This record gives sequence, structure tokens and C-alpha cells, in this order.
Amino acid sequence: MTTIIILKSIEKKSTVKEILNSVVDPDEMIYFLRLPPVRCLGPLIQNINPMIEYGVEYSIDCLSEGYETSDLVEFAVDVGADRICIEISNRTVTGKARIDDLTESILLHDRISGDFVVGDHVIVLEELEYEA
Amino acid sequence: MLRIEFRIRPAGISSKLFDLEEQIKSIEVDNALPVTNNAVFLFLTVQFDADISEESLSDQLPGIEIIDISKTEMNPHTYYFGMISDLSDASILTLLTENQAIPHRLVAQNAHLDVIASVRDWNHLKDVADTVENKHGSLELVGTTQTESIGFPLGGNKIKQSMSGKLSDKQLEVLETAYRMGYFKVPQEVTAEEIASELDISRSTLSERLRRVEHNFCALLFGPQK
Repeated sequence: MTTIIILKSIEKKSTVKEILNSVVDPDEMIYFLRLPPVRCLGPLIQNINPMIEYGVEYSIDCLSEGYETSDLVEFAVDVGADRICIEISNRTVTGKARIDDLTESILLHDRISGDFVVGDHVIVLEELEYEA
Repeated sequence: MLRIEFRIRPAGISSKLFDLEEQIKSIEVDNALPVTNNAVFLFLTVQFDADISEESLSDQLPGIEIIDISKTEMNPHTYYFGMISDLSDASILTLLTENQAIPHRLVAQNAHLDVIASVRDWNHLKDVADTVENKHGSLELVGTTQTESIGFPLGGNKIKQSMSGKLSDKQLEVLETAYRMGYFKVPQEVTAEEIASELDISRSTLSERLRRVEHNFCALLFGPQK
């Protein structure tokens, strides 16, 4: 299994840990995907220590400034992602996970589909399938 | 199952009401029931900026038969409407039900219409969003949550209907926010200060509104105090 964890900030260590603890299995391949303007994930990943603490392989990747959702989907296709995890940055007054522009554009993208699970801190898109 | 909240431009009856001379703060669709000949019973709660007259509204709403208007007890300039209208005036509801999405809440205010509905899964969400966007030209997803049950569909929450008009909008907002944030759980998941901060009101205002809610609940259960 291959999982992309989309990181929109470096302050969500607990969210990343939750994903590694409760969403992914050991021996999975994890792609930490840095989105602008986040500049450097090194300290965050070192602190979490995914290989030692969670037994996963990982890679750190990024999308360039001015990226579009299709670039993200292309990346997911290239790495054969079975799952994409998106942090929940805040909630609506009625307790729903607030959907930002990026999440909306992924959810409504024509080329990607699958299952959709809303957790406490993360939205998990899994069993992904891609249209050609 | 997913509960989704999305926002579109006002459409159907909300669009017509926003075009009235009378200024409107909010419109909530309480229920809609089909009638023969492509008509629909619409039941609405509408808050205006000032008191209104049925005659003036009827003159401005050709093709809509207002069958009842009553003023709410608690909120100023707020009225319950019953009307018979063309089915197209309930277009968003029709779109949702035709696509097997379950509508829960439709509220129009500040030049947009907020909709809460349940869909089966991600693919269903995409289908519904696609249909609504094609028909209405805009759609913004606002929030989502996972749910095991469909909850109360539009018009199905009898307790809320009974309470409607017994609590002011501000009291309802305080109560709902406190409930959603876990204030009434044991142990509490949130402090009063955090709720007050979320609502941008003072701690004492929060306390006062919650006590008024409790008082009104008790009045409803036990009758007025002697």
C-alpha cells in the first residue's frame, strides 16, 4: 500500500502521528507531500522518525509554487497511491470538518475516486482509483 | 454515509424573496411537500428587517399563493410562511431528492444559500455536486462529517419544530454551539470561555443565554411559573 500525506503546515505533528498510528500499516510506503508555502519538512519528519517508530518507508516530495490539483493527482498516479490523507485544519460551527479549496478540488476532481472517511483530525481518501 | 454542507447562490423561492422590496435577513426552508400540477407546498421561516404586510408580499409574488403567515413569538420580524408555489421554486430540494441525497437544512442569508444534506459516499457526493453545479452555476463545499444514520431529514425534526419560536436565534446558536463543542458531555470537552470565544461573545452573555434556554425548556415542559 502507498499513502500520500499532504502537509499544509509543519505544525501538525500530532496529525501525522495519528495517521501513522491508525491509518497506515507497517511496511507501507509513505509520501510526505509538502505544499507551498511550507518550506522544509526535515525537522518534522526527523522528530516523528517514521522508519524507526512506525516501520514505514518514506519519501519527502513537494509540489511547486502555483501547482494545480491536476498536478497533485498526477503525482498520486505516478506513485500509485492507494490512499491520500489530508489534515482537517478546522471545523464548522456544527462540527463538520471544514473543506478548504484544495480538499474540495481533490474531492470533485474527475480523475480520482474511491472511499472517503472523515476522522477526528484527518480526511482519508482510500481505495483510490484513477481515470485514464 | 457522509453529511455534507455546501453553499450556492440563492435559487428558487429564496431568490424570489430576496428580490422583494422588504429587506430579508434569512430564509429557512422548514418543509416542502409536492402538490399536483408541478406545484409544491413550501413552509418557510423568514426573518425580515421590519414587520411586513401579507398584502404587500402577495402583490410582489405573482404565481405564489400564500396560504398562511404567522409571526414567531421570540424573534423580531420573523414569520412562518405556508405557500403553494411552482415546483421550480424548490429546485435545489428537487435536485437533491432526484439524486437520492437527503436534504436536512436549507438556509439562505447574506446572498448565499447554505445546504446540509446526506450522501452515500464519495462518488455520490461528486454526482450530487456535479448536478447542483451544472444547474446553479456555483457550488462551494463547506464541510463534511461521517455519520452512521441519516438523522432528521428536512421537516422531520419534531422536537426542533416544537421548540422553534420558543427560543431566539441567538439562544439556539449558543445552545447548538455548546452542544456541538461538547459542553454538555461528562466530563466537559470544552470550557464556557472557549464557547464564548467561538461565538465572539462575553462569558457572561453566554451564561445568560444558556440560562434563558434552560428556563424556556422548563417552561415548555412544566408550564409557566406561578
